[in-house]
Amino acid sequence: MNPIVSVHGLTKEYRLGNVTVPALRNVELDLQPGEFLAVAGPSGSGKTTLLNMIGCVDAPTAGTVEVDGQETTKLAERALTDLRLHKIGFIFQSFNLIGVLSVFQNVELPLLLQRVGPAAERRRRVCDLLDRVGIGVHAGQRPNELSGGQRQRVAIARALVTGPKLVLADEPTANLDSVNGQMILDLMKNLNKQEGTTFFFSTHDARVMANAEAVLRLADGAIVDRVAPADAGLPPAK
Amino acid sequence: MSLDTTLLLVQMAFRNLFAARLKTLIVGSIVFAGALLVVLGTSLLESVNDGMNRSIVDSLAGNIQVYAAASKDKLEIFGNMAGFPDLAPVPDFPKVRDRLLSLPNVKAVVPMGINGAVVGSGNVLDNALERLRASVRSARRRPTPAIHAEITARKALVRRMAELLEKDLEAAASISSDKAEDAIMLANVHRATQPAFWSDFDADPYAKLEYLENKVAPNAAEADMLFVSYIGCDLEAFRKSFDRLEITDGTFVPAGKRGFLFAKFTYEEMFKVKIARRLDRIKEARETGGRRIATDPELKRFITDNLSQTHEILYQLDPLSAATVERALQRDLKEPGLRLEALLAKLLAVDDANFAERYRIFYADVVPAIDLYKVRIGDDLTIKAVTRSGYPQSVVVKVYGAFQFRGLEKSALAGSMSLIDLVSFNELSGFPTAASRAEIAGMQRAAGAKAVTREAAEAELFGGNGGVSPSGETPRVASTQLIVPDRLGGAAARRMASAFTPADLDRASVLNAAIILKDPRKMARTMREIRALSDREKLGLKVISWQTAAGLLGQFVLLMRIVLYVAVGIIFLVALIVLSNAFVMATLERVRDIGTLRAVGARREFIFAMIVVEAAVVGIIFGGAGAVAGGALVQVLGHYGIPATSDVMFFFFSGPRLRPFVRPVSVVLAAVLVLVINALSAGYPAWLAARVTPRQAMGAEE
Repeated sequence: MNPIVSVHGLTKEYRLGNVTVPALRNVELDLQPGEFLAVAGPSGSGKTTLLNMIGCVDAPTAGTVEVDGQETTKLAERALTDLRLHKIGFIFQSFNLIGVLSVFQNVELPLLLQRVGPAAERRRRVCDLLDRVGIGVHAGQRPNELSGGQRQRVAIARALVTGPKLVLADEPTANLDSVNGQMILDLMKNLNKQEGTTFFFSTHDARVMANAEAVLRLADGAIVDRVAPADAGLPPAK
Repeated sequence: MSLDTTLLLVQMAFRNLFAARLKTLIVGSIVFAGALLVVLGTSLLESVNDGMNRSIVDSLAGNIQVYAAASKDKLEIFGNMAGFPDLAPVPDFPKVRDRLLSLPNVKAVVPMGINGAVVGSGNVLDNALERLRASVRSARRRPTPAIHAEITARKALVRRMAELLEKDLEAAASISSDKAEDAIMLANVHRATQPAFWSDFDADPYAKLEYLENKVAPNAAEADMLFVSYIGCDLEAFRKSFDRLEITDGTFVPAGKRGFLFAKFTYEEMFKVKIARRLDRIKEARETGGRRIATDPELKRFITDNLSQTHEILYQLDPLSAATVERALQRDLKEPGLRLEALLAKLLAVDDANFAERYRIFYADVVPAIDLYKVRIGDDLTIKAVTRSGYPQSVVVKVYGAFQFRGLEKSALAGSMSLIDLVSFNELSGFPTAASRAEIAGMQRAAGAKAVTREAAEAELFGGNGGVSPSGETPRVASTQLIVPDRLGGAAARRMASAFTPADLDRASVLNAAIILKDPRKMARTMREIRALSDREKLGLKVISWQTAAGLLGQFVLLMRIVLYVAVGIIFLVALIVLSNAFVMATLERVRDIGTLRAVGARREFIFAMIVVEAAVVGIIFGGAGAVAGGALVQVLGHYGIPATSDVMFFFFSGPRLRPFVRPVSVVLAAVLVLVINALSAGYPAWLAARVTPRQAMGAEE
């Protein structure tokens, strides 16, 4: 099976004044369909940058990123937007729900952007997903009326409503307590199993890593190794 | 973008705007004010424009004016700072008229000429003499003691007037340069003040009267000259074409007669006894302007002026009529002990409580004894104009009446032009008339002159050879006899035949012509047609709209429009900056939201539309409310009317009240402006928002 994501020689440098700061160095990575993979590493190790590159949110300095067979570095801005809309779901550390929209509308938004119609069809899909993340009763409420865990569940519903092949989650549990964090991870895992959606999430929390099939360890912008969750706490094998 | 997406955007806009209520309110109130101002301002402006349009079009100008292209000046029917324009006569006017009338939208063509001149305001001395002569005449027929008493009283008045005139002339002579002439004038008047002159008056009253009328009264005439603007026109055609014209005093000039009609407004304003006029104005100000003497400085000043000018009335009263007025005032003011001067002072010292009563007493007791107007209807009026070639010309015409235009009674503009027949106008302008042509022809016959062409002139002058005269002397042409009309004009003004024929009228020179249209809305098109016609048939016409013809006045609306638009422009510039700023702020506050939207797949257009829709919602709601409020305000103003509290306002309102109403153009303008402002103000922030990257959604916490 072809990998859903294929990264080659990925390098990203940021310029801070006259100083060039390397964020990623020559990263090689394949994500297989249906994988549930964590990327771990200390702050500043390049986790978010890697997710941004894969999510077509930022452009690499060198190297290539292929998403579902499409070479993203060669795509125009508009095509990247459409790629994100149709193939990728995003879950953010701070939930990033639109405050002025209801829970229902937040989840419906990607369907509207995809011009899914009619309204009844959208309603069916949104409500179905909201029920599955256990938040159906809150559909009419605004995000600020919900707890953090509830909000992140809304965000998960939003990421999955279009049926993307890949969901990228940047520290999805960082703003949650351990109980809610675990609940979110369980939810993600369930959806991974049921839908076969590839999940790729960053974390620096060992308990979170424990849920992953495998953990990529990142240090100073380079992938150190790929280990089983149980081994994530061990020093890297040189 | 689908309907659902648009609805979502609108909903987001509402919610975002509601979330930032205070800011929305501030921004919205500016848009509100702008839209209100546009609707209110343009409605008022258009109403004033309509009023002026009516005043000018329906009273004088017609919709279009034509005049000779060969003219030196531009036609300005109300004149300008430098007086009235110098226009050449329209060549072959009857033909021009016929051709113009052949155009489908032309209803009427009224030939005219516009000028201004000094008129002798008729003088009270003349009037007093006329009354004295009447008394003398009736004394001849049936002498009674009453008549003799009347003669004595009227003699006393004339004598007092002569004394006052002498004083005036002495004062004038001290600053005059023409000592010789002044001396003669003064000597003439002086004689009429001497006891010797009056002691033997009864011996030969007609000789004395003649002396007074010819040697004394003309000097007084010079003392009180008034400038009157008039239109010389085919009076019949004018009356038919400007059908709002109505006669207020006297009669219309009979067809084929020379004659003069005062514009009622001018007649009241300039020719009425000032005290009476001021009382009229106080009455009007109280009744239609809602003003009060107690609080209005202008009305107070009128009263002060009246009190200091009672001699204007006293001067007109001979002892007999003075006694009559005195008795009547003693009775009506319930002041049996007071003398006339004190009674007048009391009568004129009006206040808000007694005004109506005093006004009535003035008209009942005083007015019948005096000449209320300096020129009475039926009098002959001496008009002294400067002809086109620069010499003064006088014409005496009968005043048949006064007129006004229905609906424009109070318009100073419509009431500024009196009417005179075209033949007299020609005479005043120095154009050849039938009479003067006959006179010239007679002189030519008498002198044996004949018409000579330019080419033949030399031969005619010097003999067939056309060479230098054999003697070598320059042939002397007999000193040219210039026909100079009477220098002063006045005293010897020619009294022309009082009637003229249609042929005279057709031959009369026409300086400009008013064209009245069947459908005024097609004015621009008809103007083009007339120009084309003039070019095609070489009519030599210049064609202008009434606005242009009204000169500065016509430009006034344009000026107000500019002022209004500048004001609107400033408001909207402010709105533009504030709005733009507000939306930039809103964009910056929502960078994370926008980034998120971009990350989950919203295109730049979506983000752009999001900001634009938000601005549009502000524009539509607040701009719409502003336009509706402006419209409502205009309706209210239209219902009650804005009172004209000064002459200037009368002038622009073309009446006592301006009743504005909302026009579609105002609403369309407001809508367009609000939309443009919104588009402009939202444009930059929307562009800015569209450039927010999805990475910015990852946001602050990292």
